[in-house]
Amino acid sequence: MARAVSVRRRTIATAAAWLIGFLIFFPILWTIITSFKTELEAFSTPPKFLFFEWTTENYGIVQERSNYLRFVSNSLILSIGSTLVALLFAIPAAWAMAFAPAKRTKDLLMWMLSTKMMPPVGALIPVYLIFRDMGLLDSRGGLIAVLFLMNLPIIVWMLYTYFKEIPGEILEAARMDGASLWKELVYVLAPMAVPGIASTLLLNVILAWNEAFWTLNLTTSAAAPLTAFIASYSSPEGLFWAKLSAASTMAIAPILVLGWFAQKQLVRGLTFGAVK
Amino acid sequence: MAEATVQTAGAPSARNYLQELLPRIVLAPSFAAILLFVYGFILFTGYLSFTDSKMLPSYGWVGLENYSKLWALPHWWRAISNLAIFGSLYIIVCSVLGLGLAILLDQKIRAEGVLRPIYLYPMALSFIVTGTAWKWFLDPGIGLEHTMHQWGWESFSFTWIKDRNMAIYTLVIAAVWQSSGFVMAMFLAGLRGVDNEIIKAAQIDGASNVTIYRRIIIPLMRPVFLSAFVVLAHLAIKAYDLVIALTGGGPGQATELPATFMYSYTFTRNSMGIGAASATIMLIMIASIIVPYLYSELRTGRRS
Repeated sequence: MARAVSVRRRTIATAAAWLIGFLIFFPILWTIITSFKTELEAFSTPPKFLFFEWTTENYGIVQERSNYLRFVSNSLILSIGSTLVALLFAIPAAWAMAFAPAKRTKDLLMWMLSTKMMPPVGALIPVYLIFRDMGLLDSRGGLIAVLFLMNLPIIVWMLYTYFKEIPGEILEAARMDGASLWKELVYVLAPMAVPGIASTLLLNVILAWNEAFWTLNLTTSAAAPLTAFIASYSSPEGLFWAKLSAASTMAIAPILVLGWFAQKQLVRGLTFGAVK
Repeated sequence: MAEATVQTAGAPSARNYLQELLPRIVLAPSFAAILLFVYGFILFTGYLSFTDSKMLPSYGWVGLENYSKLWALPHWWRAISNLAIFGSLYIIVCSVLGLGLAILLDQKIRAEGVLRPIYLYPMALSFIVTGTAWKWFLDPGIGLEHTMHQWGWESFSFTWIKDRNMAIYTLVIAAVWQSSGFVMAMFLAGLRGVDNEIIKAAQIDGASNVTIYRRIIIPLMRPVFLSAFVVLAHLAIKAYDLVIALTGGGPGQATELPATFMYSYTFTRNSMGIGAASATIMLIMIASIIVPYLYSELRTGRRS
């Protein structure tokens, strides 16, 4: 609302909003700061906020003890791999629904989207049994398949909303000029579709990176991503606080960057289109 | 919307036919994948809930036996009542805080663009990571209580996470922290959509700001409340990651929720039939929330 807001009220609101923002961010900030402390300083009395000897030793120790980079590469392979596979399926599907809508296209979309709300426990037993029989437990290929299936509805729907914004007249004009379907796709549609595809990709990489239900239940070590590694620090033990913080910081760092650019998509995707 | 299947005259008819069919052909794989993954697997789970499966699936039909066993388990009742406490507090507190934060952010505050992603971060980060951070923060021996004691506030006590009666509320705290900013974004989008003319008219009539919010703006937010309810309710029923990271369902069964119950009965207690029955009940719970919502959405979509 573009309403007139007095300077005083605006200043108070700004101060309050920033204070709340700081409180919300504090647990994340504290994790990041703790990751640069020694285990001893993580427990110092009174707690030190900024004035301590910054060290990166925790990062080295975490890598050395548990081959941290293997979890990172699993996370990368799973999130990017599942997203690319899903895009392969979803781009043609979304294209078809946006440019050749049938009577029930809207219903079909809503139905697809509703499946994303279903609890994954409903599919856990069959997926587990199939994985066990096919030897897919703790394999990256199997997890990519599950993550792909899990996020497919939201990718199709998201791409559809972006494709829908491309004016159909342009395609018709291209066709009038005698462009073949192939040329129409490559020269007319693709350049206009790229931003929407990029946004969808970004959202899905974040969702797959954070995924824990399937990764915790279907992996043990070989294919385990970062979420499974963090969860393995099961009980709070004082000796590991700084190291856990280092591991956590590395797990959230990419999302802190990507999340900044993807905030619109996050809200749009996680509310199933209730917020545009 | 222009029909993309309109054909130019004179093109060969076989090609025409193919082009007309193409949209369906490319849609089919996604459609089939979703159908199989969601409905196929759900049907299988539903079927298992009527069988005598233990550690392995077995196909002896036992009718409703698993369901009667399930509802006789105090453990399951615990999970259901925990879900009721957790779900209602989570939905109410998140909606109130979300609306409050949205109104605050709507006061033309400075650098709003920087603040919004900060409010959203808890939702964008892995629940496993933030849940683990909260676990350490709430742990009496090393977290908040320990810090307060070191600062000289010896009588400070915050042991909810170790307390059977209070642990469920630590789950609410972490979940509210995680989702409030996200609900804020939903309400903010709603507030930005309010027609300025209505506000101006009310101001000319001498309505105070409080009155404008209470009588005009908040009632206009009804569709946002509804979407927020649906999104939060299904997140609450699905809640799994956060419980695993924060309390693991403990102490004892104090923070067991249906999703963690289902996992433990299926895989660690070797009662796959009961696990499948609990999963089926969760599916029914979620369906009873989203089906009416989708139905009303589709109906209003048709009218406009």
